Amino acid sequence: MKNVILSGVVATLLVFSGCADKEPVVDNSDLNKQAVQEVAQTASVADTSSMMSEEMIRAALEKELATVYFAFDKYDIVGENKDKVSNDASVLSSKASAYAIKLEGNCDEWGSDEYNIALGLKRADAVKSALVAEGVSESRISMVSYGESNPTCTDKTKDCWAQNRRVDFKLLP
Amino acid sequence: MKIFFSMLLLFSLSFASDATIEVIKKVDSLPTIAVEDASTSYDESFKMKFFKTLIADLNVLSILNVDRYYRVNDFDASNVVVENKDFNYVLRYKLFQGDGGSLNVQMIVLQDNKQVFGKNYKVSNTNIHVFVSHAMAYDINEFMGESSVEWMKKKVIFSRIIAPKKSEIVISDYTLAYTHVIVSGGFNIFPKWANQAQSGFYYTSFDSGKPTLMYVDIKTGSRKNIISSDGMMVCSDVSDDAKTLLLTMAPDGQPDVYSFNVDTKKSQRLTTYKGIDVNGQFMENNKIAFVSERMGYPNIFSANRNGSGVEQLVYYGNSNSSCSANGEYVVYKARESSSAYTSNTFNLHLISTKTDSIRRLTASGVNEFPRFSKDGDAVIYIKNYQAQSSIGIIRLNHNRNFLFPLNSGRIQSMDW
Repeated sequence: MKNVILSGVVATLLVFSGCADKEPVVDNSDLNKQAVQEVAQTASVADTSSMMSEEMIRAALEKELATVYFAFDKYDIVGENKDKVSNDASVLSSKASAYAIKLEGNCDEWGSDEYNIALGLKRADAVKSALVAEGVSESRISMVSYGESNPTCTDKTKDCWAQNRRVDFKLLP
Repeated sequence: MKIFFSMLLLFSLSFASDATIEVIKKVDSLPTIAVEDASTSYDESFKMKFFKTLIADLNVLSILNVDRYYRVNDFDASNVVVENKDFNYVLRYKLFQGDGGSLNVQMIVLQDNKQVFGKNYKVSNTNIHVFVSHAMAYDINEFMGESSVEWMKKKVIFSRIIAPKKSEIVISDYTLAYTHVIVSGGFNIFPKWANQAQSGFYYTSFDSGKPTLMYVDIKTGSRKNIISSDGMMVCSDVSDDAKTLLLTMAPDGQPDVYSFNVDTKKSQRLTTYKGIDVNGQFMENNKIAFVSERMGYPNIFSANRNGSGVEQLVYYGNSNSSCSANGEYVVYKARESSSAYTSNTFNLHLISTKTDSIRRLTASGVNEFPRFSKDGDAVIYIKNYQAQSSIGIIRLNHNRNFLFPLNSGRIQSMDW
């Protein structure tokens, strides 16, 4: 369950009174009023035993899909990564053909906020184009980019940064 | 002689009006001010914390030579302490606790032992004391007759990453000393103030699986969906009248800059390049600035509000991947080195659309998230240097740069 909590106490931040010497003003801020909204997504009741087995199958198939890696500041697929995408396309067209595909683009920490999200998305788009060229239906594929916000490695090393410049596969029912 | 003087004055004014030219002002020539604490409540630790905050705020004003020594005096004393007798001004304040734990502050400014200014302040608790200090500095600036530092009282909103795909949206004062988490749970990024009054803000939510632009009314806490797009959704800028947004969307996996009418909910695609176009910013004369990699690397371009007439704005740097615009000015982040294998240096630069000059605003480290104050007087940014993170304030017309320690975790995006 995901909770989004919005606490509306920003009124507190700047609600204080400054006044000339002879005009003391009583603090009339609504500091104690906290508007809190919680949005809960309620899961429906279902047969969890069958769901678990389906999820396990999906997770096993996701492990067969190789992550695609990219060069610094680039979004073209080169070298051995082309073969990876071909193998991924084969899995997606056979064993995983019943699932929708979500491509998640990611970056290292060296870009800028918006540009990094766009770079991650272009990486996902490059993988999508390669998959479509290999015969995977475009309608099965959706994309999202997390920029630098979803690292698999947080060390300050070149190997670590390279691991984060990637596109991951997720299978959706 | 009169003609010479007039020309000199004109020369000085024309220099001062162009922020891309560094104006060197001698600190020695500024009026001096000392500060005396006359507090009757609170422990030494809090009193010293308040004093340091006030000294920092007075320094940021850049109009006074501020004495850093902590002196104590009675609020009603007829003379300043002996160490302060030669200062042009003495600011004396008294902190005292009021009913319900409120923090009250009395402030006076003395010149030759005579009061020339005074004001009182009150907040509900000591946790938000930094806002009192900011307001005191703001009022001192007004009293001295200097151009407004309204931005000192504005709030900063930022998102920070707390775990992979987990974030918080936080509201703070301009030094990030006081922080308040306003959106927690899930992955919510790119907060942007919705109007100049800062009564609401936009942000991007990933919780529905599709990037969605949300709006939050701060006073009521209510929120609503604005628009969503596959792949990418960012509110990059809000027009001065708050009626038009510049968004980056990617409905077909193609990131482009769009304008969005808040009333009609209709969007218009402004850029059509096949690569990356992001970070749209409103400029003067019905223009926008944006980041594009249409030349093979990220750089800053301008276009008309309908997307026509694209022009390259910056001719310096290998990789200029983010910008903030105000009127004729654009501040951008430039990568000074190009390496996938070592730490990179990123500096901030300032350009004007009316001149060819470039002013480098920072000198070392990774400097990012530059954002203009609404009046263009100051730039706020984050500096990471030798494992230290700071929030920086650059006073463009005073050529001064201030750093405050930052303990807010990894910042993803920021707006002022």
